[in-house]
Amino acid sequence: MTNWSPTVFTRVMLALAIVLSAFPLYWMLVIASRTNADAVAVPPPFLPGGNLGDNIIAVLNNEDAKFLLGLTNSFIVAATVTVSVVIISTLAGFSFANLTFKGRNVLLVLVLLTMAVPLQQMGVVPLYRLMVSLEWTGTLKAVILPYLLNGFGVFLMTQYTRQAVPMELVEAARVDGAATLRIWWNVVLPAVRPGMAVLGINTFMLMWNDFMWPLIVLTPDNPTVQIAITSLNARFSTNYTLIFAGTALSIIPLVAVFIAFGRQIVGGLMEGAVKA
Amino acid sequence: MMISKRRGLTAASVLAAAALTVASCSSGGGGTSQSSAPASSGAAEPVTIRVQTFGGGSNFGYKNAITKWNAEHKDIQIKEEHLTDQFEQQYWPQMIQWLTSGTGAGDVVGIDEGGMGLAKAHPEWWADLKEYGLDSRKADFPAWKWENGVTADGKVFGLGTDIGGMSLCYRADLFKKAGLPSERDKVSALWPTWDEFIKVGQQFQGKVKDTKWTDGTNTLYQVYLYQEAAKNGNVTYFDQQNNLIVDKNPAVKNAFDFASKMSQQGLTAKLRNFTDEWAAGTQKGAFATVGCPSWMLGVVSGNAGDGGKGKWDVAAVPGGGGNWGGSWLAVPKQSKHPKEAAMVADYLTQAQTEASIFTDFGNMPSNTKAQQDPAVQGAKNEFFNDAPIGEIFAKSAASLQPVFLGVKHAQVKNAIESVIQGMDDGSVPYDKAWQQLVDDAVKAAG
Amino acid sequence: MSLDTPWDGSRSHRRRARPARRRWRSRFDVKAMPYFLVSPYFLLFAAFGLFPLAFTLYYSLYDYDLAGTTEWTGLGNYTALLGDEDFWRAVVNTVAMFFIATVPQMLFALFLANALNKRFKFRLAIRMSVLLPLVTSVVAVAVVFTQLFARDWGLVNWILSWFGVDAVNWRAERVPSWLAIATMVDWRWTGYNAIIFLAGMQTIPRDLYEAAAIDGASRRRQFWQITLPMLRPTLIFVVLNSTIGGLTLFSEPTTFYGGNVDGGSQGQFQTVAMFIVKQGFREFDYGYAAAAAWLLFLLILIGAAINFLFVRRIGGTK
Repeated sequence: MTNWSPTVFTRVMLALAIVLSAFPLYWMLVIASRTNADAVAVPPPFLPGGNLGDNIIAVLNNEDAKFLLGLTNSFIVAATVTVSVVIISTLAGFSFANLTFKGRNVLLVLVLLTMAVPLQQMGVVPLYRLMVSLEWTGTLKAVILPYLLNGFGVFLMTQYTRQAVPMELVEAARVDGAATLRIWWNVVLPAVRPGMAVLGINTFMLMWNDFMWPLIVLTPDNPTVQIAITSLNARFSTNYTLIFAGTALSIIPLVAVFIAFGRQIVGGLMEGAVKA
Repeated sequence: MMISKRRGLTAASVLAAAALTVASCSSGGGGTSQSSAPASSGAAEPVTIRVQTFGGGSNFGYKNAITKWNAEHKDIQIKEEHLTDQFEQQYWPQMIQWLTSGTGAGDVVGIDEGGMGLAKAHPEWWADLKEYGLDSRKADFPAWKWENGVTADGKVFGLGTDIGGMSLCYRADLFKKAGLPSERDKVSALWPTWDEFIKVGQQFQGKVKDTKWTDGTNTLYQVYLYQEAAKNGNVTYFDQQNNLIVDKNPAVKNAFDFASKMSQQGLTAKLRNFTDEWAAGTQKGAFATVGCPSWMLGVVSGNAGDGGKGKWDVAAVPGGGGNWGGSWLAVPKQSKHPKEAAMVADYLTQAQTEASIFTDFGNMPSNTKAQQDPAVQGAKNEFFNDAPIGEIFAKSAASLQPVFLGVKHAQVKNAIESVIQGMDDGSVPYDKAWQQLVDDAVKAAG
Repeated sequence: MSLDTPWDGSRSHRRRARPARRRWRSRFDVKAMPYFLVSPYFLLFAAFGLFPLAFTLYYSLYDYDLAGTTEWTGLGNYTALLGDEDFWRAVVNTVAMFFIATVPQMLFALFLANALNKRFKFRLAIRMSVLLPLVTSVVAVAVVFTQLFARDWGLVNWILSWFGVDAVNWRAERVPSWLAIATMVDWRWTGYNAIIFLAGMQTIPRDLYEAAAIDGASRRRQFWQITLPMLRPTLIFVVLNSTIGGLTLFSEPTTFYGGNVDGGSQGQFQTVAMFIVKQGFREFDYGYAAAAAWLLFLLILIGAAINFLFVRRIGGTK
């Protein structure tokens, strides 16, 4: 089995990949923990300084930065969309995978077609004008609503359900007199949870990082965290330490979740990638 | 390496539970923006007036004036939202979007001269300040400054804040290092004309490495353009009928040629003004001079930080005089508190306020009473080595010729300056730059 | 559908004993519920997919002006776009950045996945650290990279200066700006794609490799002749995903220019998505932006088709 043990070259390359992955984040901490003059020094500093706490407090105390609001808003947006997408996709995926009905294949092909449409870019003008006429610009509703559907999610859950829930299981439950929704709840949901987790993580990340649409439809006084960083960047153009402390702050929640659930996320991603 | 299903379940359900909790808290669309808060309900809840501004450094110089107001008015609190350093590229398009969509704009918003043409053409965007008795302010301003804030149908929408005037800021310490005179009168005497300015620049760069003569092409292009405009009927990109005249107005070509010359001689640090690299360049001493309308003093001092104190000074501008910039404050119709917003706009443009902004930061008042204030006329600026800025700018205020800017000035200005910057950073060849400038201007004017 | 007709012989026999109301409910359950379950998706798609698509088409036929006037122009926006060099520059930028980012990204990801597929200590920690870039926020990272690529005091230029390279103006020179942005994209996605590839690799039966090893095939040969062909479904998924993501690139280049959708003084790195936002929300020409959105869609379809065909050929000799 020597085939499966890594060569020295492989080890070195892996180490390099890890260093490169971590470096920009390390660099963020270096600048965030230093003074403004250090940030533009040549040669640049390579070790963290002692001002991280002060700089983070400065960001949090800065009314204009709106960081806590941005973090909260991003969480509300990402979580709401995630729950919606996961539920809608699981229901539809179950229907497509385990139930027989007229027009099923046609509808499934329709879902596949909708996946190729870059809705965010395609719909930006009418959606914006819709939000203006509803007077929803500047509110989180405007960010959440267009994302409640996700063709990829339906596709993923259909594929996943097909593999994870054999038809016999559904038939057996029916014979026992269970109604469709009960089958979904008792039989399907427990079996497709890993798929839901993958979809949930993917959707959450996608929404957390969403930038173009919030940039258009939100205002800096009610931002998501990405918009808060952008405004911070625009308002404090020379205050690098403040900007970097803010950006560091904006990634802490996700990194913390990632570390806490690392095994599940890595495993879930891999399982989802194979089964879907 | 598959995860156990139970663990996946835990992760997913924790996420879902958290999400549901938050989502249910946020029913009603979440996010409370101040503008959607109910109108002032008695004295208990203070009204917050959001004042939106742009510009680098200390920009409108409102810091102290706002602190003072907030201490004296518990019922109306001012909150300044400095949105970005860049007017044409970011602030103004964003503001137009908010004004047309009906949400997002502050209760009081700053407008640069370049945006006033469009603002004036859209009376429906603004509250009429006459309704709050502010037509009484007419006598406080020069006629042109006042008229620019009045729409064709007689609506008073904008009150004048500052005017540009013109000077040149320079690094006295670096001048000394280059063996040049560093005292401001002698420095002024070095460059009666722009040709001499360029010659001194070459001399400077021969002595001091790592520092360029001036920041980039765009700042001095603008200074030069306004001087030339004064010789060509006080118009730049548009004539009084709003026809695009970029290719016909010699002022534009002359200013372009000047910018091109400076760039080709390598006298620029190739930094575009109001970008973060430009701001950091001020701090790092990347350039020795920068064109300085009065409000630029606050930009330079703000960008340079305390480390620049005493190193900078102010001299006369080559070619003599000129005006660039100056702003107005307006109250968007979408404001939920137009009455209080009008009070704030009124306060921020009062003679006393404008005078203190000048002495604190350097933005020259447009309010004539403030201009005549002895405190203004005798003002010195500590950051700029105690330069007698009152004397320097009062002169240009008196001789100021207002330049007409068209409805789409901001859009065209952005397009033109992008070409001029592109020429400096090497992305537009020098011999093709003029043609592209004209083409892009036509395109931007739509 | 007639409710009196038995749905299915065996089932109706089973349920004969039940009261009629209940039977009706179960028929409804079997016949209508499947539609009911897929309906939320299609209803939402109608509201937030179909509606915008139809209206994008509608808007694209009108000429909008900053002054607020609207004028029917037919296909005028489309013909104007096809003759607009700014638009074509955005297309070239987008496609170029897509290639510069995607080709090395796929190669590195495959290589990394192959490495991760070996036996290691701390396997989970290593896998997590290559995934780390994905969980950081995209704008935050773009801010960091923008500072790394600063012209006068950026780390990258400082390192290049050791090799005698003059300071590169990463935001002014076209190809360098593409490289800088492609670096940000790759930094973010290479690890993620490696994990996806790794998952695919682990489904490949190991005895295939063992048989090949017995036949004397080198590791490299095994990779090309077993791993890659077996990985084809995963490759298609990853490449299609990167195509859609790459051709709609927006966050990184926008942040790279201080949140400004101009993408450089001369649009050096303005992408089509940025072009759409600029036309729609900086110039307020909604019609032009809508027409550009349709052309972007076309571009994505073409890109997806080419990539699909290309990947299908990879390791075609299974």
